[in-house]
Amino acid sequence: MALYSITHVTRYTYEEAVPVCHNVAHLLPRASPGHEWRFASVEINPIPAVRAEREDYFGNRQIFFAIQEPHLQLEVTARGQVRVHPRAGLATSSTAWEEVRDLCATRGAELLDEMQFTFASPYVQWTEAVAAYGRESFSPGRPLVEAVLELTSRIHRDFAYDTKSTTVSTTLPEVMKARSGVCQDFAHLQIGCLRAMGLAARYISGYLLTTPPPEKPRLVGADASHAWVSVWIPGVGWLDVDPTNNLVPSDKHISIAFGRDFGDVSPLRGVVLGGGRHVIEVSVDVAPVEEQCRESRQLPNF
Amino acid sequence: MGLYDEMEEADGAVRSHWMMFSTLLDDLGPRDLERRWETAKQLIHDNGVTYNVYGDPAGMDRPWNLDAIPMLFDPAEWARVETALIQRAQLLDMLLADIYGPQRLLREGLLPPELVFAHRGFLRAMHGAQLPQGRWLHKYAADIGRSADGQLWVIGDRTQAPSGAGYALENRLVISRALPDVFRDCRVRRLALFFRTMRDALESLAPWNKENPRIVLLTPGPFNETYFEHAYLARYLGYTLVEGGDLTVRDSKVYLKTLGGLQQVDVILRRQDDEFCDPLELRTDSALGVAGLVQAVRSGNVALANALGTGLLETPALMMYLPRLCRHLLGEDLRLPSVGAYWCGDGAARGHVLANLQRMVIKPTFPNPHREVVFGAGLSQEGLDELRSRILHSPCDFVGEEQVTLSTAPVFTAGRVEPRHVVLRAHLSARPGADSGYSVMPGGLTRFSASADSMIVSMQRGGGSKDTWIASSGPVDTFSLLAPAGTAIEISRAGGDLPSRVADNLFWLGRYTERSEALVRLARGIAARLADQNFDNSPELSVLFSTLVHHAIYDPAMDAALRPEEWLAKILMDEHYANGLQSALNAVYRTASLVRDRMSIDTWRIINRISQDLPGHSAPHELGAQLNEIIPGLDRLILTFAAFGGLVMESMTRGYAWRFLDMGRRIERALGTIALLRGSLVNETEREPPVLEGVLEVADSSMTYRRRYMATLQAAPVVDLLVADAGNPRAVAFQLDRLAEHLHALPPTEVSAGLPLHSMMESLDRCDLRDVAAVDGQGHRPALEQLLNSLSKTLHIISDAISQGYMSHTVTSRQLAANG
Repeated sequence: MALYSITHVTRYTYEEAVPVCHNVAHLLPRASPGHEWRFASVEINPIPAVRAEREDYFGNRQIFFAIQEPHLQLEVTARGQVRVHPRAGLATSSTAWEEVRDLCATRGAELLDEMQFTFASPYVQWTEAVAAYGRESFSPGRPLVEAVLELTSRIHRDFAYDTKSTTVSTTLPEVMKARSGVCQDFAHLQIGCLRAMGLAARYISGYLLTTPPPEKPRLVGADASHAWVSVWIPGVGWLDVDPTNNLVPSDKHISIAFGRDFGDVSPLRGVVLGGGRHVIEVSVDVAPVEEQCRESRQLPNF
Repeated sequence: MGLYDEMEEADGAVRSHWMMFSTLLDDLGPRDLERRWETAKQLIHDNGVTYNVYGDPAGMDRPWNLDAIPMLFDPAEWARVETALIQRAQLLDMLLADIYGPQRLLREGLLPPELVFAHRGFLRAMHGAQLPQGRWLHKYAADIGRSADGQLWVIGDRTQAPSGAGYALENRLVISRALPDVFRDCRVRRLALFFRTMRDALESLAPWNKENPRIVLLTPGPFNETYFEHAYLARYLGYTLVEGGDLTVRDSKVYLKTLGGLQQVDVILRRQDDEFCDPLELRTDSALGVAGLVQAVRSGNVALANALGTGLLETPALMMYLPRLCRHLLGEDLRLPSVGAYWCGDGAARGHVLANLQRMVIKPTFPNPHREVVFGAGLSQEGLDELRSRILHSPCDFVGEEQVTLSTAPVFTAGRVEPRHVVLRAHLSARPGADSGYSVMPGGLTRFSASADSMIVSMQRGGGSKDTWIASSGPVDTFSLLAPAGTAIEISRAGGDLPSRVADNLFWLGRYTERSEALVRLARGIAARLADQNFDNSPELSVLFSTLVHHAIYDPAMDAALRPEEWLAKILMDEHYANGLQSALNAVYRTASLVRDRMSIDTWRIINRISQDLPGHSAPHELGAQLNEIIPGLDRLILTFAAFGGLVMESMTRGYAWRFLDMGRRIERALGTIALLRGSLVNETEREPPVLEGVLEVADSSMTYRRRYMATLQAAPVVDLLVADAGNPRAVAFQLDRLAEHLHALPPTEVSAGLPLHSMMESLDRCDLRDVAAVDGQGHRPALEQLLNSLSKTLHIISDAISQGYMSHTVTSRQLAANG
């Protein structure tokens, strides 16, 4: 049971003053299984003229804000402290993937919430190349969990992590061709493979522990916000997998929001008027909180 | 079964509701009809009724094709159609309320979830939004066709931003003017009441400013296929025509950027597809939207008609489910059937489509620019097989439709009457207030196929349109929203609501018209001299040519092989020559079409004529010899420009719109005169009098000069007349006076204060023209050159100040996104 402290700073610096900007942020955490949030807050500088929080279509916490005074810099800081319980051991479901596919296709009223994650979405438009790549893991009768895990490790093996090869607008066919990308691309790719098979898959936006425990390697993608995949398994629920690190998230992944793809849950998006060129700086710090130390400090000092 | 003809029974007898019309038309006779129709076609052309055809370079502003014979509907049948369409609109509105609310229909299996969840037009950002009067669908149109057995079918639902109501109105105007007697005697129901209902309904939506709501019509811009209609409706309804860039969101409210500052918008009549309306929360790649609009809607501060998110009901797959949805939601049967539609996502429907592929029309379920409508009947065996496998690969993406053999109606073409297939687009508008139902336009836009053999009825594919008549049983209501024809329709309210973008376009329209006119005047002076056999002896010829250099129009180094007359022809006629007259005229036309909702019909007619006075030519070299034929064209153009200037002065209200147009003209005219003097007088010519005469002629000041100085031509009085004489409307000083007046009347800005305008005017007043025109030892006039330079500099400063002070809206908005 780990307690983490999170600080996520996004800073835009503009060449010329920006008179107005409108933004949407998905930086406040939704309730997720195994997550106990002690607090979570978002601080915006300059202080916005309009700030409104609402629950979006998927139940995520969305902040809308607008700054209406000329500014040369926008800084958004998300802070939080969360206790993450290790996810229960790997799902033991032996349900064959075809069964799940057929279940998704029944359009049962009780499956409506799962079913909406089976369709193509703006960032997940797969081609036959994507479908064919994924299909290799789905031999007839194979249990879904097994197939998903193999697909996760194949993506990890076949695609290189390269922060320079893609941008936020890179499409699936481009990733497929380049054989490289970042967490967002791998998540989209795996979601595309799963949906092409008729399965329900979500995009999860969140964080990774940035400072690894001693003698453990640092996880990839830890210096920015992270993204991974969740696939629906009947009787079990949603199983998270992280194709960037080839693992099943346990207590080092912190979920913030989920949607069909990046577009539904991008941490911070905005439209500015003017401003000339701009520079973006993002820093994410997720560190374990030394509870004993902290608690001892709280003890009366006599 | 054969064809159903709207006018004639199978035995050739005229149907009863066509009887009166048919008799009156026979009385008129084909020759009279032809004659009247020629006049009507001229009216369409003069009014500039156009329709843009995508993907066709010549298709921009294609003239509207209207038929002389209207489509007549049996009033009793129409009453049933009205009831049926009102039911359908209500049903669709309830569907939207469920899709964007509790989604019970999806949970109860009455509507396949694919049609919602897999549709890009399902705008999740709008889910749960509380809308004024709880209404999503305000404007609805249905395409209706009749099959051979006489049955009417709905063949398409338009729920996004239905087009055609404005064209129907224009058609009515033209036909009622061409056939006034026939129109009167047929007791045709009028359209104006429908538009009044629509206007009242839109006003009733205003969330805050209910007394005097500001309503705007949002258009994607002049490149949209139905832009003419947007401008036309905006003018007819009295709304400001805006593009996304004219609007801005502050404090979750929508504002129009005007010269008088930001003005709150209460209702938006939307003619732009919903996905493109907000780059923040809808399509992030949209360059047309208003960031924050969705939030403004959710906050209840603005109403959109239609609401954002209504487009998804246009899928043809929905028609298959309407009968049962109607019974479920309204407890009654659907009154007007839809064409047989089979969504392949449904197993049984897919089986039916695949078994009957040859007589099906296959349509995409979801809007997709790469997928076309396919007619099974037109495919080979391989084609059918390929289509079958595509359907099986992704069945949800396809809808099979029964092909209806559409009825025909008479069309008057090339002096005779021919049958063509027809489809009617019927328009509905919400009635004012909640739960008040819908009102149907009595008539609508009837469209017909391009040929008797073709079933494709589409303005994009070259068909035409008809007015649609429904006879009234009672007295005809003659209520009208329109001002009498021929009056200049200018914004009637104070000019304060002039959008900055429109001001910008008017300013440039002024500059381009004046620039073209100056060029034409110069060209006429040159052409007249070239046509004179003794032109070799005219020293002013080379001087006028060098003035062209100062206009940055003629560069002798560019093409040394061309003779002067060939050069002139190139400048005047070559459509591909960037600095030539044709480009300048194109710029006039382009900027004018950007502000046509601000222009009187008469002004627009003049703009239309500009392009005909001197037609462009792609091979101007051969035209070099035909100078004498160019000159009358140039004369006509100068008169046309004079008519434009006259209308601007005489028929535009003295609001901001007029001031910006006039400022553009003044700046350009002053710069033109300066260029003329630079080219002709800064360096003294050996024999100066003919040069001075040429200059006076081009500057349209010969008469005044002669009256003042008789036949004595000297540089100093010419400079005085063209530069310093504030009483001469062609003089630079006159333009400066006007500019000062305009700037004084406009709302002050940071940049308009402290302009060097007045100091320039004073120094012009003080200077001695004798000194200015003095020649130094090298045959040079340094004082004149200096004066012209400082005048030119002042004018450019003023032009920049106007741009910066009033048109800073041109700053574009951009997306910010951080990678994960």
